Amino acid sequence: MKQTFNVVGRSHPRHEVGDKVRGKAVYTDDLEFPNMAYGAILRSPYPRARVVEIDASEARVLPGVLGVLLPKDVPQKPYNCSGNPPSPLAIQDERVLTDHPLHVGDRIAAVAATSTELCQKALSLISVDYEPLPPVLDLDEAISETSPVLHPEIGPTNIFNKIEADQGDVEKGFAASDLVLEDLFETPGIFHVCMETVCCICDFTRKNDLVVWSNSQTPFQERRILSKIVGLPESRVRIVKPIMGGGFGARQQLHNQVVGALLSRLVKRPIKILNTREEEMVGTCVRHASKCRVKMGVSKEGRIQAFQAEVHHNCGPYATHSPIVLAAQSRKVPYRVPHYRYEGYCVYTDYPVAGAMRGYGNPQLSFAREVLLDRAARKLNMDPIQFRMENRIFPGDTVPGSPLVLQSCAIKECIEAGEEIRNRIDRQEEANPQKNSADIVERWGMALAMHTSGASNNTGMSSAVIIIHDDGSATLLTGSADMGQGSETALTQIVAEVLGVELVDVRVTAADTLHTPYETGSFASSQAYVAGHAVHAAAMDVIERTRTSLAARYEVETDHVVFENHRFSINSTEKPISLTFKKAISKTHFGETGTVVTGRSSFKASHSAPPFAACWAKVAFDRLTNSIEVRHVIEVVDVGTAINPDIVTGQIEGGISMGLGYALMEDLEVDSRVSKPLTNDLLAYKIPSTVDMPEIHTHIVSSFEPSGPLGAKSVGEMTVIPVAPAIVNAVVAATGEDISQLPLSKYFNIKRPL
Amino acid sequence: MGEHAVVIQIEVNGIEHRVHASTSDTLLDLLRGKLGLKGVKRGCSAGQCGSCTVILDGKAVNACLVPAVRANGKHVTTVEGLEGVDGPHPLQEEFERNGTVQCGFCTSGMLMSAKALLDSNPNPDRNKIKEALSGNLCRCTGYKKIIDAVEAASKSELPPARAPMTRN
Repeated sequence: MKQTFNVVGRSHPRHEVGDKVRGKAVYTDDLEFPNMAYGAILRSPYPRARVVEIDASEARVLPGVLGVLLPKDVPQKPYNCSGNPPSPLAIQDERVLTDHPLHVGDRIAAVAATSTELCQKALSLISVDYEPLPPVLDLDEAISETSPVLHPEIGPTNIFNKIEADQGDVEKGFAASDLVLEDLFETPGIFHVCMETVCCICDFTRKNDLVVWSNSQTPFQERRILSKIVGLPESRVRIVKPIMGGGFGARQQLHNQVVGALLSRLVKRPIKILNTREEEMVGTCVRHASKCRVKMGVSKEGRIQAFQAEVHHNCGPYATHSPIVLAAQSRKVPYRVPHYRYEGYCVYTDYPVAGAMRGYGNPQLSFAREVLLDRAARKLNMDPIQFRMENRIFPGDTVPGSPLVLQSCAIKECIEAGEEIRNRIDRQEEANPQKNSADIVERWGMALAMHTSGASNNTGMSSAVIIIHDDGSATLLTGSADMGQGSETALTQIVAEVLGVELVDVRVTAADTLHTPYETGSFASSQAYVAGHAVHAAAMDVIERTRTSLAARYEVETDHVVFENHRFSINSTEKPISLTFKKAISKTHFGETGTVVTGRSSFKASHSAPPFAACWAKVAFDRLTNSIEVRHVIEVVDVGTAINPDIVTGQIEGGISMGLGYALMEDLEVDSRVSKPLTNDLLAYKIPSTVDMPEIHTHIVSSFEPSGPLGAKSVGEMTVIPVAPAIVNAVVAATGEDISQLPLSKYFNIKRPL
Repeated sequence: MGEHAVVIQIEVNGIEHRVHASTSDTLLDLLRGKLGLKGVKRGCSAGQCGSCTVILDGKAVNACLVPAVRANGKHVTTVEGLEGVDGPHPLQEEFERNGTVQCGFCTSGMLMSAKALLDSNPNPDRNKIKEALSGNLCRCTGYKKIIDAVEAASKSELPPARAPMTRN
């Protein structure tokens, strides 16, 4: 099945990198427009309160203030901000501006002014009389019978959704098991920390046209939701995504665009709103904090018989993505599990709003599962890696809890390649031993992960148009939003591969709802697979249409025009003809039979091929100081065909650093006395910096996904998932202590690597 | 203490400017807002992320922490001034290779911290590189390719660091 490629499978630099290293790349906040003014949002200082009265009279008369919006001035119909295709799971419970704030940072009012400084001054002049209400911050408290109910209009308790998945009969499975283990695992809320904060410019100065430039992962979903709120047909709303400074899921939802649009309509000027870092941390979204109760039954031979998970997610006060996160979480088990049960609960609290974040529920449950797996292996005196190898899922297997049948899986190859790297590291270190004191214990830990290529409920859709120019070069139009991961470059590689042209001959216009065709969006690691399929099909359409044009040009049947090995050949003419793509276009574009070739496609996913990752961590535990130091992380992936290996290793390395933060140090803290987030800047909330990183080692195994475009699966999110459990398993091995909570800074001092 | 208008004389990327600014402006406000140097990125306005790093009289600084008035009479290099007449700086060439850059929002700041390092220490070891870049946060890359790129650039022929501005 393995194919050889010319452009795909090679590490071409991403097309916009020259601009990025010269400061020329245009991000949203770099854009300026004539007569543009600024907007800012007044956010609740209380986690739960009622606004008794708002007086904005002083703000309104401040010179330079153009307008003020209060809750009464904006549509009050609840909406769901999440950038998902329409779904009954997208519960509508959020308002543009609210007089019943439900978290610190909730939107109360907004101002427009001629400068950002004046905006801040105007906000300080709005006087709000709040009646603070007792906040519900803790999961257990929120589900207790005595808890205030945050959304009585949605349901009678704070549990607002339940997701279940079932396969076999877990009770039978546990009864048939020789060893049954159970524990409660807790994971913290964490932040995405995109280096670029949320920014939008909204131009609603024409009555029936709204244009929004924003860092959006899902421009088409945001167009649909925004058009409903502002009362325009979708055709009159245009969303443009400039170059984007990171996404990680945080941009798969509307943030300030609604307020920006309404301010712009009010003051008749384009309005820019840029989040401060503090707003980014209290007023956008976070990874769900969770409590996962997991139970596993294993036979004495080391076969998993049953796995059961009951998960409560701290969703914050608005539903956003939550039920969909849970549904996705239930389908990510890379093992053969005859009896499987998943129960997930969405719980409202006054904690920061939870939304989409890289992994979408998978990191929480994978942490619990992989740590429990190690415990089971230890109890059975089995090597945890061998234990995983023997229970792994195979092509042809159905993914537990889902109808998805695997078509490719190279877990075995990932484990073998990673073990080789691990042995090499150990040999090197044995040859040059570090002077470890007798108090230091070094151990390895390991974990597996499986993720998805596109939404695992197969709702992924994409389409593409390829315009062929008279010189045979191409412009790809795709709705796909590159958030920095390099998807635009990977997609142009697919076009160049199919047409047999140089990469430099393919340019791309992306993620502009007026000029590019529909796409569900950049989430669920869709780009290589879902967008990749659409782009591949459009390129094949170009080939078909070029064959037709050549047939007309040379007056032969289309069947006689064959495209093979990147050349068109016609053998029925007097002299056989063999043409490259560009040469063919030079023959068909002009002249009597002149035709302009454009290719197009529509792709609807019917599969969501899981990619796989195996991850190892080597940790040193110092008994004297109770400190841990992560010295090495290895991650090996099966992503099918790696369209651009440098982009893939970039995703792995970035995933390792995000996973390291999750394992060691990242923790969204809310002060229990004042009920306010403590971690509202990058001093209080630390993400890994250069000096926190261990040695990292990556590898991509050779693999081919039969259902993928040119054999590709996706990579982005998966890479973060196995990192925290691998580190924790190493720490458990080194310390002998069972661990059931993240981050590890709760248990140990964290030492930076040498 | 009210804010008031001042005139700041500053050399940026080899060009002398006289700019009207407010005493409350930061160097970042001046560079991005007044001089249109949008390659200097605003990530936190608090000196915590390093995205706005520029070189001020030979030292890498967070432009968001430097009052604009403190840059009076000094010279500044931003990412826009990194490319010389002879072509890109070796750091830019290395960053263009091997997938070093992902979203690119931290890139300008990374490049400037790396340049300040190489200007003062043309042969840093990996730990020195890590230290010099430790104030520049990146969420995409895991830093490995960035450190590799700086190390590779240090092995190529580096252009001379600019001489401090002399005033007459």
